[in-house]
Order: sequence, then C-alpha cells, then structure tokens
Amino acid sequence: MELKREKTGIILAGLVIGVIAAVLVVLGNPLNMGFCIACFLRDTAGALGLHSAANVQYIRPEIIGLVLGSFLLATVRKEFGSKGGSAPVTRFVLGFFVMIGCLMFLGCPFRMILRLAGGDLNAVFGLVGFVCGILVGVFFLTRGYSLKRTYQLPALEGRILPVVQVVLLVLLIAAPAFIHFTEAGGGPGAQHAAIAVSLVAGLVVGALAQRTRLCMVGGIRDVVLFREWKLLAGFVAIFASALVCNLILTGATPNVYFKLGMAGQAVAHTDGLWNALGMLLVGFGCVLLGGCPLRQLVLAGEGNTDSAITVIGLVAGAAFAHNFGLASSGEGPTANGKIAVLIGIAVVAIIACCNTFGKKRGE
Amino acid sequence: MVCIATFYSHFGAMRFKKDCEGWGIPAKLMPVPRDLSSSCGTCVRYESDTACPTGNWPEEMEQAVAVTGEGYQALWRAEHS
Repeated sequence: MELKREKTGIILAGLVIGVIAAVLVVLGNPLNMGFCIACFLRDTAGALGLHSAANVQYIRPEIIGLVLGSFLLATVRKEFGSKGGSAPVTRFVLGFFVMIGCLMFLGCPFRMILRLAGGDLNAVFGLVGFVCGILVGVFFLTRGYSLKRTYQLPALEGRILPVVQVVLLVLLIAAPAFIHFTEAGGGPGAQHAAIAVSLVAGLVVGALAQRTRLCMVGGIRDVVLFREWKLLAGFVAIFASALVCNLILTGATPNVYFKLGMAGQAVAHTDGLWNALGMLLVGFGCVLLGGCPLRQLVLAGEGNTDSAITVIGLVAGAAFAHNFGLASSGEGPTANGKIAVLIGIAVVAIIACCNTFGKKRGE
Repeated sequence: MVCIATFYSHFGAMRFKKDCEGWGIPAKLMPVPRDLSSSCGTCVRYESDTACPTGNWPEEMEQAVAVTGEGYQALWRAEHS
C-alpha cells in the first residue's frame, strides 16, 4: 500500500510538472525548455559574468524557486538537515563534467524528456547514451563504488545556498548594471516567462520534487537494480503530460509546440553520436553523484552541502564550456567540446575506478 | 521483527544483505521508503529477532528501524549522521 501511494504521488507530481513545463514555454521560455537545469544554470552563470556568451545570460527564477521550494517544504516537514563531507572536491569535478556533457547535448535529463515531448528525435540518441551511462555507473555501484559517508554540519552550512538564491532573486529584480542580460531577440537568454511566474513554477516543482524524490537517474538506476519503476514513472508522467499539452497547444494556437523530426529543432543539433556521448557522460557522472542535476538542486535545498558543491561544479562547468568553446549550438558540436566530453568520460571513469577498486574492505 | 537498514552507499547495503544471508536471516535490497527518509538510495529489509543480526553495526550503515503498524521505530543511528 505504501509503495502504491508513493507511486501514485510521483505520477501525479510528474503530470503537474509536465503541464507547468509546457505552460512556461507558452509564457515565454524557449521551445522544449520549460525547464532545463543545465541551461538555466548556464544562463545564470552568464548573467553573473562568469562567461561572456551574450545570447545566454539571464538569472533564471526557476532555479531559485527549485532550491527555495525544496528548502521551504523540507523545513516545514522537519526534513531539513545540514550535512556533507562526502568527497566534496570529487563531487565538484563530477558536477563540472556532467555540465560539459549536458552542454554537448544541449540539455539536462529533464530537458531531454521535454525535447522528446516536443517531437525532437535527436533526444532519442541522448536517451540511449544516458541509459548506457547509467548502466556503466551501476556496474561500479555494484562493485563497491562509494564516496563515503556524510556528516552532520552546523545548520548555517546547509542554509547558505538557499540564501544565495534569495540574493540572486534580489539581483534579478533590481537588475543592477553589473548583471548581464541577453538583449531582446538576442537568443535563448532573452526568452523567458515573467519573473513571478517562473519563480512560482520553480517553487512548486521544487516542492514536488522534494516530496517525491523525483530523479531521472535514480529512476533508471532503480529499474536496473530492483526492477522498481516508481521513480521512473514520474518522468514518464512528465513526458506524457508535456506531450499532450504540446499537441493541444499546437492545434489550438498559431504556434508550433510539437514538431516530429530531427532537423530544425529548437536549441538542438542533429549529431547523433555526440548527443549520445554527451548524455553518456551525464548518466555516468550522475550515478556516481547519486542523482541528476534536478535532484542535486533539491538536495541542496534540503541542506545537503555535497549537492551544493555539485551545483557549484555545474555552474563552473557551464562557465568553462562557454569561455572555451565547448558548448554545442544549433550548428552542432565543436571540436573543443568533443575533446572535453572524451576527457570527461575518462576523468569520470578514473574517479569511478579509484572509488571502487582503489580501497580495501572497511576503509 | 521486520527491520529496515539504510546505508551511505549501495555497496554497503549489498554487503549487509550478504552478511545477513550468511547468518541465515532473510534479507532483501530495495529503494529507501519515502516515509523513512527524504534521501533516495538502497536499503535492506530483513527479519530478525535481534536489532543487529550480524553482531556489529556495519560502518556503512546510517540507521536501522523496526517496521511497526504505525510506521518506524528507531533502533540505531550512526553518530553525527
């Protein structure tokens, strides 16, 4: 009964989140990008001047809402707890390379689902790579991979990232000259819903994800390890509801929200191999981290400082990707990006090996 | 009694399950129930007359609870967790 109740809750949450994602696009977000943790962290990094790609600079309120939604619900339900100390530097590096993989594919696992729901078949290659990456990660999990335990920390530690989100919200609203914003018509950074709408959407999704533990990586991992479909059902629900919304919106409005095919998709390229390899890196890295980028934000909101470090790693990866020409564009992947993804796969594999085979029992 | 133990790593759970089976105690790996923790991961559900069937609480174990009609009753929790 307990399991059935959990599953029902996750499916309902997924359905709601899918609708919210579709509505955010109608209200101004880029196509198939109602939510994208990687893209939105990248935009925020740009707004703070951490990279200078003028077309992707905007403090995304959805990110702020996700962290604060999780923080508020966890606090109310007495689940907030500052903890950390489980290989923070390793997690930073993993977060960094997960972002490199995301920006090769042009989206996080969440956006991969939304791209599929918008008819973007390039995301099928991403999904195949993502599943392969998770399988590689599970291989190490079942052979002893561990980043060691977390420890209780002073309450302030876990509250710093939520406070930073409040500061970012103030900067977004005040819009001082030192914050960079993509000019109107200048690219995806200029496409966004109203601040209040995006913030509320983030708060709702953050709270739902905290309550249900929604995680794309955890979903596939649990299917592989336990034949347990509960977590994955949430993402299937997101896909289904976003797909239905996109089809209805395409029929009912002059705009196209569902276009089946590979060419001409929004903020996407058609290089199947690198779409797959990018998401392989994401899947592999995220299994070692214990969750997808969305889950890292939610855990950070609950007071997990290891996840907060991972989020900082994701932001650093985004800044690095745009400063050194690693991020793909609609034209396709870059040579630098391909090299970075291969380096990323190698680094993640080394981290996996060192934390699996490089330790003795009980160490 | 039916107990659930949560761990810091999947491998810790696998090892505990194996140890339980070595002691002849039925044990099963499963995802951590949401009502027990907001963390996701692997736990071990086992049936035992004693809270700690393997002699010592494993280093990689985070907590152990007994499953009761009303929910869970704490049996043990790692220090500073």
